[in-house]
Amino acid sequence: MTLKPSSIPELQKLLPQSQRVTGVSLEAVAELLEHVPEDMTATVRAGMTLAEFQSHLAKTNQWLPVDLTQPETVTIGELLASNLNGPRRFGFGTIRNWLIGLAVVLPDGRLIRNGGKVVKNVAGFDLCRLFVGAKNELGIIVEAAFKLLPLPEAETYLAKRCESLDQAEEFLEKVWLSDLQPTVLDLHRIDSELVTLVVGLAGPSADVEAQLGAANALGIVAQTSLNYDARFRQTRPNFTSVAPGNLISTLRDLGDESFVARAGNGVIYHPSAKPIEVDSPNLQKRVKEIFDPKGVLPG
Amino acid sequence: MGINFKAGKGQLIRRLVELVGEDAVIADERELVVYECDAYTLQRNPPTAVVLPRSTQEVTAVVRLCAKLGLPIIPRGAGTSLSGAVLAVDGGVMIALTRMNRVLNIDPRNRRALVEAGCVNAWITRDASVHGLFYAPDPSSQTACTIGGNIATNSGGPHTLKNGVTTNHVLGYEMVLPDGTVEWLGVEANGGEEVPGFDLRGAAIGSEGMFGVVTRVLVRLMKTPQAFKTFLCIFESVDEASQAVSGIIAAGIVPAALEMMDQLIIQAIEEAYHFGFPLDAGAVLIVELDGLAKGVEQQAKRVEDVCLRNNAREVRLAGNATERVALWKSRKRAFGAIGRLSPNYVTQDGVVPRSKLPEIMRFISSVSDKYELRIPNVFHAGDGNIHPLILYDEREPDQVRRALQAGNDILGKCIELGGSVTGEHGIGAEKIDFMARQYNRDDLDAMQQLRRVFDPKKRCNPHKMFPGAKRCAEFAQKKQITA
Repeated sequence: MTLKPSSIPELQKLLPQSQRVTGVSLEAVAELLEHVPEDMTATVRAGMTLAEFQSHLAKTNQWLPVDLTQPETVTIGELLASNLNGPRRFGFGTIRNWLIGLAVVLPDGRLIRNGGKVVKNVAGFDLCRLFVGAKNELGIIVEAAFKLLPLPEAETYLAKRCESLDQAEEFLEKVWLSDLQPTVLDLHRIDSELVTLVVGLAGPSADVEAQLGAANALGIVAQTSLNYDARFRQTRPNFTSVAPGNLISTLRDLGDESFVARAGNGVIYHPSAKPIEVDSPNLQKRVKEIFDPKGVLPG
Repeated sequence: MGINFKAGKGQLIRRLVELVGEDAVIADERELVVYECDAYTLQRNPPTAVVLPRSTQEVTAVVRLCAKLGLPIIPRGAGTSLSGAVLAVDGGVMIALTRMNRVLNIDPRNRRALVEAGCVNAWITRDASVHGLFYAPDPSSQTACTIGGNIATNSGGPHTLKNGVTTNHVLGYEMVLPDGTVEWLGVEANGGEEVPGFDLRGAAIGSEGMFGVVTRVLVRLMKTPQAFKTFLCIFESVDEASQAVSGIIAAGIVPAALEMMDQLIIQAIEEAYHFGFPLDAGAVLIVELDGLAKGVEQQAKRVEDVCLRNNAREVRLAGNATERVALWKSRKRAFGAIGRLSPNYVTQDGVVPRSKLPEIMRFISSVSDKYELRIPNVFHAGDGNIHPLILYDEREPDQVRRALQAGNDILGKCIELGGSVTGEHGIGAEKIDFMARQYNRDDLDAMQQLRRVFDPKKRCNPHKMFPGAKRCAEFAQKKQITA
């Protein structure tokens, strides 16, 4: 069943009484609690969509450096529970890097907090990381605090369409070894188009200008957008994850299959990808048993 | 647990020697003195024995023996902890990783390094730099502290402002659990970075050695920036320097490092290392920018503007790499210069929201007056992470009492301002009492739940972090004086 609490206390009451909760809608738990621009931090309830959160932050020229294909529909809670990310992941990392505090309702109804609202904090164990990507299997995230970044002064995307994977590899290696500091480093081949290398540059304007010159010198010139990512990933393809150095050889094995790859991270979205097997199954099982002994939540 | 291992100590030592050899077991009381504390010296107690294993297999064998005997195990790196994290509160077998200190592999294509847990932090960058790569977290003790210890405390350092702390750079690691099973948590050496399931890697970083013994570590390396600009910004007062820090952050600049030193520490450092700091300055900021040359140039202009607007007397640029290295060397050895000011010091590690820096600095100054103790400051201003060094003389019981009180007051204020009692040094044995002030009962119980996943018997580095833990007898006396 899906729960639709009107408040956090109501969720605390509902959860322990429920069995086999498949979803929790936090539409009613969606306020921005605090944004302190001079601290570059913000605290928000989990039901707010990412797009709305970003629009609040943008008023003072800041953002949470994570880019999703559907920011208008994805909530902060879903972003965290599924550890979602997009092409800018190469430059900014995943949401784990930006999370500094959490409030979670555990299956027994307890509301717990971990971390806080300061950017550095090692008091106690890091439960924040445990709940990120845990798919609501251990508890329901109801509130999150993030550190933020200034919106990049300038941002630009370049594409190099390549005749073959060999050529794509050649350009990828050039970028990898150069002084460029791309925020996006993608390769894609969608519906038998040419393999395309995408290089994103963002930062202070003088920096982006200098990098642009350096990228042009490498033969990467054409301007592009990141639309391909949303277009391709709307079918929610699975992914294969390899060490970045094994990316091209893995892509070769795909034959003609379409893909979008985070080349800098070694993550390849493609239709035939198989779910990755979980390591340390005993420990994983113990986590679930200890945090959700009655199996209230999925998983 | 009530195990009477004192009676069976001889037998324990024999068993340990069988497992790791005579040269890898320390049991002589005179030699154990080295292991009775770390860099936090207010509490001391020797372990029953120390072992110095050379491989994961040896660690596993020792851990299994301790599991069988129900003995505490205390993992230890270089013992540079500032919070008593590796104190053997109630004896037990200390597993020191200092012989497992090799850099096993540098993988430039994947920008990764595989090292043993006892590997010294700075050695990774030393070996990676030929490939134009470096390991980002740089605690001030980086020429001594080990990567395993860094994982235990989720260590930071001056340059974590832009690049993040240990958890952002450790991809995966091998850990021997307290029951003797060996698990690899997180990304594997040649594996992809997406790891399905609960993030046990992340959950165990910063667990202060209470979840198991880390034996091998896979870290992420970063490309060495093309250009650096390092400024020494000189102010008449701590207040103006604090305002400048807030100003830099508010201007949307994220420097690689943003450090503050006040007059007392400047004078001590200058006397010790002769860098050329102005002795009459109220405070200095070290601001480092890195990236591509042109971008750095643009940012540099802005930093200079903000500092001058906040009444900087002078903004000096490190002229070349040698000067930059010398500046950082002085900064990172700041704690070492304290010996010139005082026989003893205790350093606190609180964090406040960055805009509250001026307030907490004024508070520290009032605490210094109130308890009549000198408190120099050298800290990670850009993160809001303070390091007041409370100076005292341990031969004067009243000074010890006042030093403890002063630390208490400062950390209490950090909590009040919405911050934390520790940004990078950890709770350890030192700050246990603060856990119940920063977190409520349910929060702490949830942490204990996580502990149960790894160490249900609470044998790994016991009596740390959680309120109600046992204390060393000698420290209990000191606390009584405080009361």
